Order: sequence, then C-alpha cells, then structure tokens
Amino acid sequence: MNMLEIKNLKAGIGDTEILTGVNLEVKPGEVHAIMGPNGSGKSTLAQVLAGHEDYDVYEGTVEFMGKNLLDLAPEERAREGIFLGFQYPVEIPGVNNTYLLKAAVNAKRKHQGLPEMDAFDFLKIARETMAMLGMDQSFLNRGVNEGFSGGEKKRNEILQMAILEPSLAILDETDSGLDIDALKAVANGVNAMRDPERSIVLVTHYQRLLDYVEPDFVHVLSQGRIVRSGDKDLAVQLEEKGYDWVREAASA
Amino acid sequence: MSADAVQHELLEAAVTALPPDKLSAVRRAALASFAANGFPTTKHEDWKYTSLSAVADLSNTWLQENAAAGKTKPGAVDTEQTEQIDAHWIVIENGVVDPQSLGKLDPLAKSGITISSLADGVDEDSIAVDDPMSAFNAALLRDGLRLTVAAGCTLDKPLGILLLDDGSVRVTQTRILIDVGENAKLRIVECPVSAGSAQQFANSVTQAALGTGAELDFVRIQQRQKDHLSVNRFSASLDRDAVLDYNNFDFGGGLARNDIVADIGATGAFVNLHGLYLASGRQHIDNHTRVDHRVGPAKSTEEYRGILSGQARCVFNGKAVVHDGADGTDADQSNHNLLLSDKAEIDTKPELEIYADDVKCSHGATVGQLDKSALFYLRSRGLDKDEATQVLTRAFASAILSKLAIEQCHDYLASALDKHLDALIEKD
Repeated sequence: MNMLEIKNLKAGIGDTEILTGVNLEVKPGEVHAIMGPNGSGKSTLAQVLAGHEDYDVYEGTVEFMGKNLLDLAPEERAREGIFLGFQYPVEIPGVNNTYLLKAAVNAKRKHQGLPEMDAFDFLKIARETMAMLGMDQSFLNRGVNEGFSGGEKKRNEILQMAILEPSLAILDETDSGLDIDALKAVANGVNAMRDPERSIVLVTHYQRLLDYVEPDFVHVLSQGRIVRSGDKDLAVQLEEKGYDWVREAASA
Repeated sequence: MSADAVQHELLEAAVTALPPDKLSAVRRAALASFAANGFPTTKHEDWKYTSLSAVADLSNTWLQENAAAGKTKPGAVDTEQTEQIDAHWIVIENGVVDPQSLGKLDPLAKSGITISSLADGVDEDSIAVDDPMSAFNAALLRDGLRLTVAAGCTLDKPLGILLLDDGSVRVTQTRILIDVGENAKLRIVECPVSAGSAQQFANSVTQAALGTGAELDFVRIQQRQKDHLSVNRFSASLDRDAVLDYNNFDFGGGLARNDIVADIGATGAFVNLHGLYLASGRQHIDNHTRVDHRVGPAKSTEEYRGILSGQARCVFNGKAVVHDGADGTDADQSNHNLLLSDKAEIDTKPELEIYADDVKCSHGATVGQLDKSALFYLRSRGLDKDEATQVLTRAFASAILSKLAIEQCHDYLASALDKHLDALIEKD
C-alpha cells in the first residue's frame, strides 16, 4: 500500500487556484524531494496535506495509508501519523515547549489506544534528540518558539518530529534561513528518522539540503503541478540550469 | 427622582432605625454626604458604561423591607479558599466580622499586627466618604476591619480575608482600613464569594495607608455567583519608597465594578497593578484604576487582561495623572482583551494626563481573537480544536498569573483559573 497517493489534486484559496492537478505516489521508506521556484505551490501542497482550513480543495483525491485524508481534521491527520514541519514555526508565548511535546505525543498515543508516555522515556528521547541537534536543554522550558532564532525554530520542528515519530513527515523549507552548522544538524535529525516504515517529503527551493539528505526521488513543481520527476541527479541538473529550464520543458 | 436612584427617605429611615452602636455617628455623617450626590448614573463620565439601576432597585426594596434586621451572627466557615491557601484567615460574613476567626489572630499582636473590628469603635475621620458609593457604604456601616502593622514588622504568611455573602442579607457593606507602618510589610489575600439564590449587592471599601518604605501586596480573587452585584473600591496612599502590588482577579459576579486608586505622595514609591477578568453569559465587569503621581521620581505600572465570551460586557479605564512638578515619573499602562465571541464587548480606555515635563509614560490597549496560525500549529500537532483554544486562552491569561504578588495563593488561583476558563470556553 502506498503511504501517500495524490491524484489530480486541485486546490487554492477562494477563487485562486494554486495547485492545478498534482499527482504523486510515495511508498513506505522513501524520501521524496519536491522542488520548485517561488510561487509554484510547494507550501500550498504541504499546508493542504496538513489540513489548513484557509485552503479549499476543488478536485482530486489524497489517500494516506489507504484512508481518505481530505475528510480528516488537522489534529486527526497528526494522530494518524502525519507531521508537517512548518516553514515558519509559530511563536506561542505562555505555552511551554515541553507541555506541547507531551500533549502532542499523548494525543497520538490516546488515539492509538496506548497509555500516556512515561515521563522518564519522554525526557530520554527529548535529551538524546536535542543533543544530536545541538539544542540546549533549556529549550524544553521555554515558550514554544518564543524568541527562538530561525535556526532554533527549525531544530525545534525536528525535535517535535523525532518525538512524534510520524509515518509521513512533510518538511516545508526546513533548510531555509539556516547557516551551514544548523543545516547539518537538521539534516542529521532527518537522516536519523529514515526508516523502512516511514516516508519523508522534503519541500525545498534549493538543492543544498539534498547534499546532506539524499532523496530517492526528486519532483519539480511548476505552476501548481509536477512537471518533471527523476532521481537525485535531477536536483543537481536544476542547480546547474535553473528553474527556467523546467519551465521551458513544461510549456514545450 | 430618576428610577435608578436610591430613595433618600428610605435610606434615612433605615439608618435611623438601626440600633445605636459605636458607628452611629459615622452613619449619620455619611448620610448627609450621600444626600448631596446619590448613586452615580451613566451620565457621569466614570460610570458611562456601568449602570447601577439594578443595584438601586435592589437597595430600595431592601431598605424598605428589612435593612434594620440585617445583622447576622457569622459562624465558622470553611471554604476551598480557606483550606487551600496557607494564610491567617478572617471571615467577614454579610459585612460582619466573625469574632471567632478574629480572636484566633490575637497572637499576631506579638508580630506587630493588630486587628480589630470596627464595631468596637473607630475614629469618624478615618472613614472616607469622598465618593458617593463610599458615602453609601458608611451610611449603612455596621462593622469592618482595621489592620495595623507596626513599623518594621512583617508576618510569616499572608492574611486571608474571606468575604462571604450568604444571601440572607441582600445588601452588605464592608469597610477595611489598613495601616502599614514604616518599613513594614503586609500581604493580603481577599476572597469574595457568595451563596444562595437571591440577588445580592455588596459594596466594599478598602483604605490603605503605606508609610515610608512600607510594602503592601494585595491579591483579590472574586468568584461570586452570577446573581451577585458588587461595587468595590480600593484606595491607597503611598509615602516615600512605599510599594503597592495590587492584583485583582474577577471570575464571578453578574455585575462587578472595581475602582482602584493609588496616590503617590512622595518620591521613590512604586505602584504595580495587575488584573485579569473572565466574563461569559451576560456578566459585566468594570475596572477603573487611577494613579496620581503628585511628586517624582516615582513609578507606576499597570497591566490588565480580559477574556470575554457570550454576551459579556467589560470596561477598562486606566488613568495615570502626572501632576505639575512630578518630574521623573515613569508610568505605563496596558490592557489586552481576548474576545471569544462576536457578541461580547469591551470598552477600553487607558488614559494619561500629564502636567509635568520630564516624564516617561506609555499606554496601549488591544482587542482581538485567538491567533489562527497558532491554533493551526497546535492542531497540526494533534491537539483538538477545543484543547488548542484552551491552551492559547490559558497562555493569554498566564501573563497576569506569572506576575502574582503572593506566592501562597498561586496554586489555588491557577486551578480556579483553569476551572473558570473551562466553563467559559465550553459555554461559548
């Protein structure tokens, strides 16, 4: 069974169609990169998959492990095993980072009929992951993303992913705005999550993240649909020739 | 005579009918003061959004029926507040001090704290009647508290004051006089609660005088029932380097009006006001604060937050007056509101009046809904919509809770806040 199966997905905001017919299949264990120029619909695709209510789906289907994803509320998708790493993680002053991590884990465990996570286990995973990501332990006691730098926010997203252990992780521009050290740390965090039972979709504008996280497939999104698919060499070609090359190819 | 006024002949007859006691002279003097103005109406700028007509109606009925019979004998009362907040508790039931709880605190005299009942006598001049509701309070006053902290003295834990209106007396007056001596410190947790199903009105006045270097921390947690109406005035005068930290939490009551007034009369004083109000259904909560900076340098800071749902109506008016010559004044005020329903209404007005040159003043107010992107972020992590709403609402409120002046009431207050927030979001 496919992890994710998108067929002819058309979506947008109000009357503005942004996704104009996306088709994509992702199998368990695969890492897919979705690349494309600004405004091609990459973030819209990520947000629609996570269930953002500002977007309307006009046509098409999305199945996640055989279930109709579009029928589910955002929180149900999360509990079923989808994780969206935000391009712009939201600052929530007054909500403790640990509180959110625990509430998220336990919402999922409750959905699976499991007891709440043991506090000791929770801290163990949190500490290990934070050490790998080069995050200070004090982040656990701070407000969610409150006053975090761009790099700290992205590391925090990876921390949440590691603790939630999703079946499908969609990482939206997780590499943007990172210096080389942060990029490597985030890439390490992503690579550590690679698993035959887990799929990862990397949404990115640049090829540089793919130097550290090697994708099985690369897709190019342009004007709301996938115009070209290939292996990791496609990303290298894109880096050399620029997006105009695929745009021309698409309209030819 | 307008419909929302107290009928003076009724008040006069009721005051005359009260059995003579040590407060008779206070009542007679106040009756004359009250006659000059009567209840404030919505024509007064300070009462524009808060009508006392229901209070006047109730007062007239009560004055006519059984004002003189109002005094009851308080008994021992245990509530969740007295059980959960570690404090020296005094119970004031229907405006009357419970002598038993008062007697238990006699040993505090060794720590320099003297506590007495106003029914045992009070200097007439010490009862302020300079606004109409204070005059009404004094005209019907039958008891109250006087707290005096001797110079340099402090208590091991806060003083708790449970204000219970049990429904048997429908109009009650409470007066508390506080005197904190030079370099002395006092912490008070005041918990107004009500019981019974009858409509009630409580009119309370607290007057505090802070000596040089004195500190008063005052936390008020108001959780009365929805048919309870109240007008509450807290005023404080601050001498050199005195510190007032006042927090009021209004979670209950159908109508609750607070006037919080601080007068900075000497340099180095610091006034810190924080408040949180939660209102749902048709609750009406009004906070009016005023800080007078008569001299500088001195500092005042103020933050009030409100969460409104249903058809609640709230009012915030925060005024700082920097008098001529009060150079070096530092004053800031803010008021933030979260509206969970489009039928709720807040009238907010931070005000600055500045007559001095060298000052640092700021003010601001916001009114808004929950941040949609934060809601989606939490939901994308598996929290359902109600839980995400609750988490964000609690976070909004926690900004005030984190500034709580008295540690001993933190846990109780946090759990009370949770309970009230749950109810507020559920109803919405």
